[in-house]
Amino acid sequence: MEAAGEEEQDGLSVHSPGQAPPSSASSLPMEQSQVELELRVLEALEIYPPSKLQGIHRHFVLYGLMEYLQRRFDRHFSADEVLQLLDRFFNLEMLKPDDEETDTLNQEEDFSLPQSFFVKDEQ
Amino acid sequence: MGSSNTTEGTGGANADPSASDSPAAGPFAEGEKVLAYHGPCIYEAKVQKAELRRDEWKYFVHYLVSYEIKCSLVSDHVLFHISQLVAKGKKRKALSGTEEKDAKSAEKHVMLQFPLTLKKQLVDDWEFVTQLGKLVKLPRSPNVDDILKKYLDYRTKKDGMNAFFLSLRYNFPSNWIAESVGEILKGVRCYFDKALPAMLLYKKERQQYQEAIHDNVSPSTVYGAEHLLRLFVKLPELLSFVNMEEEALAKLQQKLLDFLKYSFPS
Repeated sequence: MEAAGEEEQDGLSVHSPGQAPPSSASSLPMEQSQVELELRVLEALEIYPPSKLQGIHRHFVLYGLMEYLQRRFDRHFSADEVLQLLDRFFNLEMLKPDDEETDTLNQEEDFSLPQSFFVKDEQ
Repeated sequence: MGSSNTTEGTGGANADPSASDSPAAGPFAEGEKVLAYHGPCIYEAKVQKAELRRDEWKYFVHYLVSYEIKCSLVSDHVLFHISQLVAKGKKRKALSGTEEKDAKSAEKHVMLQFPLTLKKQLVDDWEFVTQLGKLVKLPRSPNVDDILKKYLDYRTKKDGMNAFFLSLRYNFPSNWIAESVGEILKGVRCYFDKALPAMLLYKKERQQYQEAIHDNVSPSTVYGAEHLLRLFVKLPELLSFVNMEEEALAKLQQKLLDFLKYSFPS
């Protein structure tokens, strides 16, 4: 009810009578869903810190984010869509990868097959 | 309210929240400035009082700038720490301390149940390389990229059929399953290229690696099935850094198993 009053004061509906009502009518729920979306994205970042998007874990972090949003909103989110959402908050290119992850793969270590793989074979 | 039995630790203080202010306040502390989601908008607010009601934290908040509402009682899913909005990833790092990693490493052994035939394949591989000194000839064909690509094609076709019927019923975009698989396969490839020199080679294979991989060649175009399978032994360890939600991890596990079954038929 209040929204209708504002709209008239705005004068927008007078200038473009054909278009204004449908677009302003749809903009309100649209905004709400956007806020909801952004909040969930921020929540998701508690689990999947954006700094990990720059390192080798990038794709699995993205997968995690896609799943996170898919489950909350019951619809599919593509990787691009997730990246665009993140782009509202972060300059993704400026993010630095975590030190801990670069450390683990910078040391060379010989492969060794865990003991559990041999046990079954001997029986 | 007096004898709630499910809340250990924090529960002791809940009878009188004012007695011990901060530790018993749940995720948000009394006096903390927060952002509260109210209707379509977010307002700056201050937590006046935190209360545990039926195992759920309720917060009495005062909105700092008064619009049509001044205060309300809300639950924690509509509240956000201010730092959450300006999160730079720094805070997160402090949180992911050592105990979290320990919990993960205990968990990781359960993660991938290798099919028995693949275990045997890995043992054979071990025997060939370390006991007999027989290395696979490089470059391998099919290489890791080929294997991943083949699976993606298969998945896209199969899911394409499924998605077609699903989209009739639920209006799903028809590429929705294949896309998450695509992201997973990209992740596998990325791990493979980084992990191969770091943790996937037996000692006897190091020299061969030096000869086969020059500066710009990615290992996934040179190495094949044997080494890809070794990555799956290391995968839980690598994935533990992602700290994935349980549900997403369970789904991922299923998808990785499906990949293994398709790409390494017994």
